[in-house]
Amino acid sequence: MQILLIEDDIALVDALKKTLVYEGFLVNHLSKGSQAIAMVKTELPDMVILDLGLPDMNGLEVLRALREVSSELPILILTARSSLEDKITGLDLGADDYLAKPFDVNELLARIRVIERRASSLKHAGLTIGEVSIDSVSHQVKVAGDIVTMSRREFMLLKALMENAGRVLTRSSLESKLYSWGEEVASNSIEVHIHHVRKKMPPKFIQTLRGVGYIIKLV
Amino acid sequence: MKSIRTYLLLALLAIITIVTFLSALHGYQSGIDKVDELFDQRLRELAEIIVDANHDTSKRDNRATAIKPSVFYQIFSKQNVLLVRSENAPDWLLFEPTQKAGFKDVNYSGYRWRTYQLIDERLKRWVLTAERIDLRYGLADTIVSTVILPTVLAVPIVASIIWLAIGIGLRPLKELVSQLNNKRADDLTPIFIRDTPDELTQLITTINSLFNRLNEGFIREQQFSADAAHELRTPISALKVQMHNVKQSQPKNGVDLQPLSEGIERMGHVVEQILSLYRNTSDQAAQKQVRNDFYALAQDCIANEYSQLDLKKQQISLQGDSPCWLMGDRFALETLLQNLITNAIKYSPNNGTIQVSLHQEELDVKLIVEDSGLGIAEKDYERVFERFYRVSGDQHASGVLGCGLGLAIVKHIVVMYNANIKLSSSDTLGGLKVVVCFPQLRLNA
Repeated sequence: MQILLIEDDIALVDALKKTLVYEGFLVNHLSKGSQAIAMVKTELPDMVILDLGLPDMNGLEVLRALREVSSELPILILTARSSLEDKITGLDLGADDYLAKPFDVNELLARIRVIERRASSLKHAGLTIGEVSIDSVSHQVKVAGDIVTMSRREFMLLKALMENAGRVLTRSSLESKLYSWGEEVASNSIEVHIHHVRKKMPPKFIQTLRGVGYIIKLV
Repeated sequence: MKSIRTYLLLALLAIITIVTFLSALHGYQSGIDKVDELFDQRLRELAEIIVDANHDTSKRDNRATAIKPSVFYQIFSKQNVLLVRSENAPDWLLFEPTQKAGFKDVNYSGYRWRTYQLIDERLKRWVLTAERIDLRYGLADTIVSTVILPTVLAVPIVASIIWLAIGIGLRPLKELVSQLNNKRADDLTPIFIRDTPDELTQLITTINSLFNRLNEGFIREQQFSADAAHELRTPISALKVQMHNVKQSQPKNGVDLQPLSEGIERMGHVVEQILSLYRNTSDQAAQKQVRNDFYALAQDCIANEYSQLDLKKQQISLQGDSPCWLMGDRFALETLLQNLITNAIKYSPNNGTIQVSLHQEELDVKLIVEDSGLGIAEKDYERVFERFYRVSGDQHASGVLGCGLGLAIVKHIVVMYNANIKLSSSDTLGGLKVVVCFPQLRLNA
């Protein structure tokens, strides 16, 4: 996977490059927003890590320009400003994820993996965690090689949790992934679906944080 | 001085009264003198007319008809024999006549009289005309008073006009005060008043330049905060990534990097805490009041801390009312939740339990965070909210590194929202129990 890193702090760039290369990614680096926009236009990377504090232009402007080039390009925002406005605007402008500095390296890697998994499931490559694998084209779920049948909503639920493996998904964020706007959602519908999915999965595959949400841990 | 308006009114009235009084006094005095002169002239003319009209040179018994009770006349021969007199005149000589014509005041029949003596050389006799002085003064008084009285009566009218005029004159000042009063805490835009009087121009210019400087100060401060955040967080990120790389590439039995790693973590933590203390000011809180689902904020906060929870294999549960509406600045509420929850995670042992609950009650919104850690001794309940205070200093029993700002920040936010915070021991879990009550006043639902 080829990552375009847009960041102007050389010390951070050097360290990040080393980490990401070690993790098996290909990394290209640019320190200016204008260069990045030009670069993306000629060759689309698999993913962009964008720092919002760039020397030549506002990071959010860069984000908007990148989105104009490609609507599917996964973009992860890094920023030293933890202000909520930046975060909301960033996500509104189509960033896939948002990480505030100083971030934990493992957290960054986890988020890159989530994006990677989402991208790969979009490219119909399927997704496997532990004994469970899903194929988003055929909507097929296999547990330890055996095919398991699932309803559409159960499949979407499992897919969302697997794509975000390692992160807690709150009930409300799952609802927004499963139901469209204005659709009536019973207060316990997510619990009911989780209950059904869980029965078909290996034990402890889906874990509950009581009152908060659910998580599938990375193995 | 309570009110400029009252002061000006009283001062002006006092001045006007004194000046009016003095000028009235002076007017009265000169009026009386003038009237006196006029009366004297009349008395003389009367004498002249009598001399012209009366030609008696011998004694005449019958008394001439009286002119007026206040006026009388006598005609004497050169030898001081009374020839004719008016009815009310005495039949004796009131005083020894002089050789020259002139005025003289005499007493007669209980009154004071003004007399004029005219010598008639042609008929060898002299004439005395007299007028009662008290009546003269009475008349003079009336004449002068009718002139002066209106100015005295005008004082109350003048007072009310002055009152209104001062009111109009002070209107720009009043407007200035109301503009200043209506200004929001964060509004540092210049003041503008139509038709500014010269006296206020300087004041308004000064106020505006003060606002301007204050505004620049705030912008600088915000800029500093943002710059500091950027300048500190980026190198700390770089340090953390470098640390991660060093750990990756180092052989298993190499140098112990744990202290270094912890040092970096700690530095990052302190920087974050100081920045968040700096960011949560009550002015900001006042302007960013929005309706938040406190329950959803708590869910996000717990989800964000999952890696720490997982690392210590701790059980966490969130219960209570969903949604739970609370007015406030989202950043401040998130900071509060995050500090309380990370504290619970930090100070609870591995495999510990943490319970977070939220209740929307009639009078308040109640947040309770309980853990199964060591808790805090009752004597330290007050002190833990002090900045940079840590129970047992750096030899904290849990062995957890901290900077002693977490609860200070929590307290700061609690005070900002007129909420109250109470520490106690958890009955169910055995550790610390933190209860925060936000008054319902903030609620919109």
